Amino acid sequence: MTSSDPKLRRRRVDPMDAGSSSLTDIGEEKKKGSWRGVPSGPSPIGHRTALAIVTLLGCITTFYKIWHPAEVVFDEVHFGKFAGFYLKRTYFFDVHPPLAKMMLAAAGYLLGYDGHFDFGTIGDNYIENNVPYVGLRMLPATMNVLCIVLIYNIMRESGYTVLTCSLSAAMYLLDNSAVAQNRLIMLDSMLVFYMLSTVYCYIRFRKLRYQEFTRGWWFWLIATGVTMAMTVSVKMVGLFVVTTIGICVLVDLWGLLDIKRGLTMKEFMRHFNARALALIIIPTCVYLFWFYVHFAILDQSGPGDTFMSSAFQETLKNSAIKMKSLDIHYGDEIILHHPGTEVYLHSHTLKYPLRYDDGRISSQGQQVTGVKEADDNCYWRVKATKDISKDKRTPVRHNDIIQLEHVATGTNLLTHDVASPLLATNEEVTTMEQGKRYNETLFKVVLDDHNNGNIWSTHMKSVKLMHVDTKVAIWTRDKVLPEWGLGQQDVNGNKNTQDRSNFWMATEIKGLNATEINMNKKKEIKKMSFIMKFFELQGRMLRHNSGLTKPHPYQSTPITWPFLIRGISYWSKNDTREQIYMTGNVFGWWLSIGGVAVYAGVMLADTLARRRGVEPIDEPLRNRFISSAGLFLILWLTHYIPFFAMGRSLFLHHYLPAATCNYLLLGAVFQFMFIDGIDSPVSPLEGTTNTKYRRFHPLMMVATLSKYSYLAAFLILLGQLGMFLFLSPLTYGTPGMTVQQVLQHKILSTWDLQFAK
Amino acid sequence: MENLKRRHITPDVHQQPSPPVYEQYNPATLIDHNYGDEKNKFAKPLPPQQRVVYSSNKYIAFCQKYHRALIPAGLTLLAFWTRFRQIGLSNIVVWDEAHFGKFGSHYLKNEFYFDVHPPLGKMLVGLSGWLSGYNGSFAFESGHKYPEDVNYTGMRIFNAFWGALLVPLAYLTARQFKMSQRASILAATMVLLDTAYLCISRFILLDSMLMFFTCLSLYCMTVFNNCKNEPFSENWWLWLGMTGFSLGCVLSVKWVGLFVIALVGLNTIEDLWEMLGDVQMPKKTYAAHWLARAVCLICIPTLVYLFSFAMHFLVLYRSGPGDAQMSSLFQARLAGNSFERNPLDLAYGSKLTIKNYGYGGGLLHSHVQTFPEGSKQQQVTCYHYKDDNNHWIIRPPRVIGNPQDYEPENGNVRFVKDGDVIRLIHPPTGRNLHSHPIAAPITSGQWEVSAYGNETVGDIQDNWKVEIVDDLVYKDKERVRSLTTRFRLRHTQLNCLLSANNVVLPQWGFKQIEVTCDKRNRENDPHTWWNVEEHYNDNLPPAPKNAYKSKFLHDFWHLNVAMWTSNNALIPDPDKEDILSSTPSEWPLASVGLRMCGWGDDIIKYYLLGNPAVWWPAFASLLVFLASAGFYLARMQRKIHDLSNAQWDHFLYVGKTLFLGWFLHYIPFCIMGRVTYLHHYFPALYFSILMVPFLLEHWTAKMSNRTQWIVFGIAYVSVIAVFIYFAPVAYGMSGPISNYKGRRWLKSWNLVDK
Repeated sequence: MTSSDPKLRRRRVDPMDAGSSSLTDIGEEKKKGSWRGVPSGPSPIGHRTALAIVTLLGCITTFYKIWHPAEVVFDEVHFGKFAGFYLKRTYFFDVHPPLAKMMLAAAGYLLGYDGHFDFGTIGDNYIENNVPYVGLRMLPATMNVLCIVLIYNIMRESGYTVLTCSLSAAMYLLDNSAVAQNRLIMLDSMLVFYMLSTVYCYIRFRKLRYQEFTRGWWFWLIATGVTMAMTVSVKMVGLFVVTTIGICVLVDLWGLLDIKRGLTMKEFMRHFNARALALIIIPTCVYLFWFYVHFAILDQSGPGDTFMSSAFQETLKNSAIKMKSLDIHYGDEIILHHPGTEVYLHSHTLKYPLRYDDGRISSQGQQVTGVKEADDNCYWRVKATKDISKDKRTPVRHNDIIQLEHVATGTNLLTHDVASPLLATNEEVTTMEQGKRYNETLFKVVLDDHNNGNIWSTHMKSVKLMHVDTKVAIWTRDKVLPEWGLGQQDVNGNKNTQDRSNFWMATEIKGLNATEINMNKKKEIKKMSFIMKFFELQGRMLRHNSGLTKPHPYQSTPITWPFLIRGISYWSKNDTREQIYMTGNVFGWWLSIGGVAVYAGVMLADTLARRRGVEPIDEPLRNRFISSAGLFLILWLTHYIPFFAMGRSLFLHHYLPAATCNYLLLGAVFQFMFIDGIDSPVSPLEGTTNTKYRRFHPLMMVATLSKYSYLAAFLILLGQLGMFLFLSPLTYGTPGMTVQQVLQHKILSTWDLQFAK
Repeated sequence: MENLKRRHITPDVHQQPSPPVYEQYNPATLIDHNYGDEKNKFAKPLPPQQRVVYSSNKYIAFCQKYHRALIPAGLTLLAFWTRFRQIGLSNIVVWDEAHFGKFGSHYLKNEFYFDVHPPLGKMLVGLSGWLSGYNGSFAFESGHKYPEDVNYTGMRIFNAFWGALLVPLAYLTARQFKMSQRASILAATMVLLDTAYLCISRFILLDSMLMFFTCLSLYCMTVFNNCKNEPFSENWWLWLGMTGFSLGCVLSVKWVGLFVIALVGLNTIEDLWEMLGDVQMPKKTYAAHWLARAVCLICIPTLVYLFSFAMHFLVLYRSGPGDAQMSSLFQARLAGNSFERNPLDLAYGSKLTIKNYGYGGGLLHSHVQTFPEGSKQQQVTCYHYKDDNNHWIIRPPRVIGNPQDYEPENGNVRFVKDGDVIRLIHPPTGRNLHSHPIAAPITSGQWEVSAYGNETVGDIQDNWKVEIVDDLVYKDKERVRSLTTRFRLRHTQLNCLLSANNVVLPQWGFKQIEVTCDKRNRENDPHTWWNVEEHYNDNLPPAPKNAYKSKFLHDFWHLNVAMWTSNNALIPDPDKEDILSSTPSEWPLASVGLRMCGWGDDIIKYYLLGNPAVWWPAFASLLVFLASAGFYLARMQRKIHDLSNAQWDHFLYVGKTLFLGWFLHYIPFCIMGRVTYLHHYFPALYFSILMVPFLLEHWTAKMSNRTQWIVFGIAYVSVIAVFIYFAPVAYGMSGPISNYKGRRWLKSWNLVDK
């Protein structure tokens, strides 16, 4: 079945019919000499005016009372603090890549802020603490306005009418969630901005597909790669836009591979290589570059030290850890600290009771426990089991076999195959008088980070004490012994030797003042290659991110997001009864999810109909509906579906990029439903040096607006505006509301607003 | 498909003269050129029947003539020999025999029990016990020796029988996929000689039945697909119905049957989609196709599944360990239940157990352990087993009225009415059921429910109002009656409803169900409804016999929800390392094995481990298929056609079906949160095994016959040789395990202690 079956095209065969949209063959038009590359669609002036208006309106909704509240709101706690760390150049750790936080820091730097404020808790006052918070909020707010501009231009470049473009942009600027989220000191507006930029650049690139390898083609291809990398450099969520672009490029390449396109394999490989360069190699470099800057700025020791390996920490200036670290030698009396539960390895003269409550029997040996405060009973002497020279001090190395003598009682640490008091599966740890049961008192020193120097040292090298005889590790956990053990913490031999919590850290050597010794030695700052630093940080970011599973009262499941079942309380103030409750524009969100349903329904019906040999939709319309609206749908899906598979705690604001994409899709669906036809073709065919597109004659079509188009757009915008204004007290955090008003604003009974009682 | 059909480049390229003898089947000629292309099929006459020349030797001729029956029969005999050989060697309860043997015993004793799996497999285990003369008296404790009177060998043989049938099924399925005999026998040999299949089939477990029904479903589906050209014929109906029946059976053995249902479902959708494109097909015929599939692939499996539960309820008519999982009314009809002597009407001072009415609801429970967060008071949960910690006593409320009014001392009682305020005290710990405005531990949107204070210490937050929903037998709402009255408990202070929503607590709550006070006030949610189950009051007479019966569908659904909840609770415990469990990523390359029993020198040891010569090629074949399909597609995009349309369609059909089968049986385990074990991979493995001979044949099709024999010869020899070397892991290893340390090919196998 060919696409020019006259029966189905009946509607628009007559190009001379001036009043209605026309559908003609460009070849024909060309012969007549009337074709100018782009059909006579809307004038640029119409677009410019509309863009100016939505931008202005966007400025109003975004910047309205941006100084309110003058208090720390929700995640400003984190991101304001992080910006401060850049300004103080102290090392910190966060699960997100650095770009957006550096942008905030740059804004702070220009404003003369020195990073002194700690953004301690939600509700801390900015004015009292002298923080230029309005300036800081200006940056994300400006990005939000730019998002509106981008949305307009994405729709415009995709060939939609002025009305559709304005609708999409206006829906976004009247979205309560976008306004609430994107004018605060957080990362999301940067994320959405770069995400939209990527889409914009890709569309520009795609439109130049008939002018391959021209300067503009290269520019937009590389711009896509760079903005894509910027998105990922803001948050790892940027990978979703990378996925989208990846899918589009694969589809594109598959089309290029088609022999009907007439490319030789050599030409195809040229296309392939150009994309590999611009979309893989360049983005990787950009992403690495921001981390390079990150490490270059943060050269001083700070709160993030403890998240990193000790080798990394040694590269930081004023590293506290380096000042405290001393190598351990045989004969030293040390204190061992368990970092996970914050206790010190301890022993005292009390014995394990003969019989426990559950009837099991102990060895009645001396108790070994964990205590919160180090005392004299926490010193352990490291004794060699090999010959060491008497004259000089021999350091303890990785894999050495040692004995640990409890200094206060003169007994050796021992563990054996007797069930521990609280955990029958693990071994009891006790001590033994000198010379007895020698083989069971031997422990192997296993250093965590033994590739960077194998000498055991305090504060630097955590150690696992592996029992040589029974292959268990000395371990403790957050459980206290009953009365007979003075409520001290249970220590036992752990059979699961791979567990990270088996590691202990030596914190002190008796009689040695580490700071003094180190001051005299003047250790120099060590170097570590950038790539090593990068991989270490990246690995720890990912691990930490997946570890964010602690339940939060405002977390929600992805399925509830598009329906706005629940928002997030960002901030509230008791005396004025004001609150910021992050929630989307209920009207717009429900309408957009309806748009998805319409899209799916239309595509399904079309597929079924075509299967039966009927082609109900005109080719240019269908083409646009698949390629342009399809791109928006994929964007929405890739920004939404992956959350279903994520294990970490999730929040409504994770849906914001998807909600933004959904407005793009809504625009496309609006055009399909309410505007007759589409401006087509949208990609310029001329100016190509390539002769093989000469045979390519797309059908031409012009969109025609009727009064119903305007009416529909007006009603949609009215609904959006009404809902926006209604919810605005929750979005801007002002004015305060009475109980009655709060209850009124509970659109769904599941919303947990403050001050509802 | 439409495009592919239109292209028909060289349709008749393989119309070569038929090979003279049957051994020389060329896979290309075996494929019907018109396969899946119905229009052409009717346009052209079928190619003439191959003339088969029989050998002059009468024995060989006999074999040639009856090879269709002889080969499967031979394979079955071999399978029986490998499966039944030394089956009773280990006379102790091995691995999960402890569970499934015990469940089988329950059927023989007719005692109601609860398990996360549907009943069919366990009923068959029960049947095996009955057939071998076992009376159900043995407790099947793990590692214990079977007593003299338990014919465990018979039970194991019954199970192994199903496992053995996999072998002929693999052969027949491969034949249905139009593989040559050489390739089909290779498929069967790989199934026959896989040590993991062998090992798992030889014990009293469900896996052999699960595997059998899964493979049977695949077989039926392939036969049905080959009947496509004669729709609504007798054969067509038979195999469609058989597919539905075997799907129902898989699902009734274990829920993983859903995966093979998904496979058949996708196949059906594709089939219907193909037909939708056939504009000439009358709409009535098309509707009939839909209807036939709905009846055979939806109704039949559902009926089989329901029937297995109906049998389950029918056989288990006595009270047993699983009672508390079911609704109180269901329990009331079990013989020997614990509340036959219950008084009817509730009064202040009554001791009772309270059951959540929602599907899968448990008994209100408390124990001395406290919440680790929130109020840190004593935990209140829902629990599915009966013990004294489920008991509660109705006491007068705090502050309201004089306690004397509620519990008159002279032996009189005051009955509990609709709207009465009560306080519930937990006798083992003396604490009161209590709620307060502190977020619940998991469902943090609701209030926590705890047990707090004692008889004298406490506050007004101990008060609960009884709201009667209805009574199933008596129409009035006057009194609360045990079993039949459904009521809500409303917290008088917070105005929220006591509810349990099948949310499982972590290890600190012993995986019991979270109880919250639901402030959403969903009065019609059965999870906020409760009923009294056991009821003790010395001052009241026992109730008349209750004739009310719970409905089958209600019980069925209740049990399924309970199974689902318990299944979800089987999540790995981060505090405990389980050496038996493994992660899905370890399976395809057989990089993990499973010790099925103790590892002492004096025990016969079984190690569940795949035959590397089967598992490794099986996994590789999946990748080879993907690469081949990609290769062909890219070449076709460049208009280079390596295969004729019919060949490509066939290649795609077989490869796609097998790959999807593997994918659907494997990937869900990666997403699932629950504990996974090596044997979960076995159904997926079957699909990948069939892929090996298929691809071997596909890629050697153009080579000389000699080369083909060499390739297949290598495959046969390596499978057989590696099997012989590894056979002891499945047949039982006696003596010290260090004798076998040479077989530890991979470091990750814990065959030998480190």
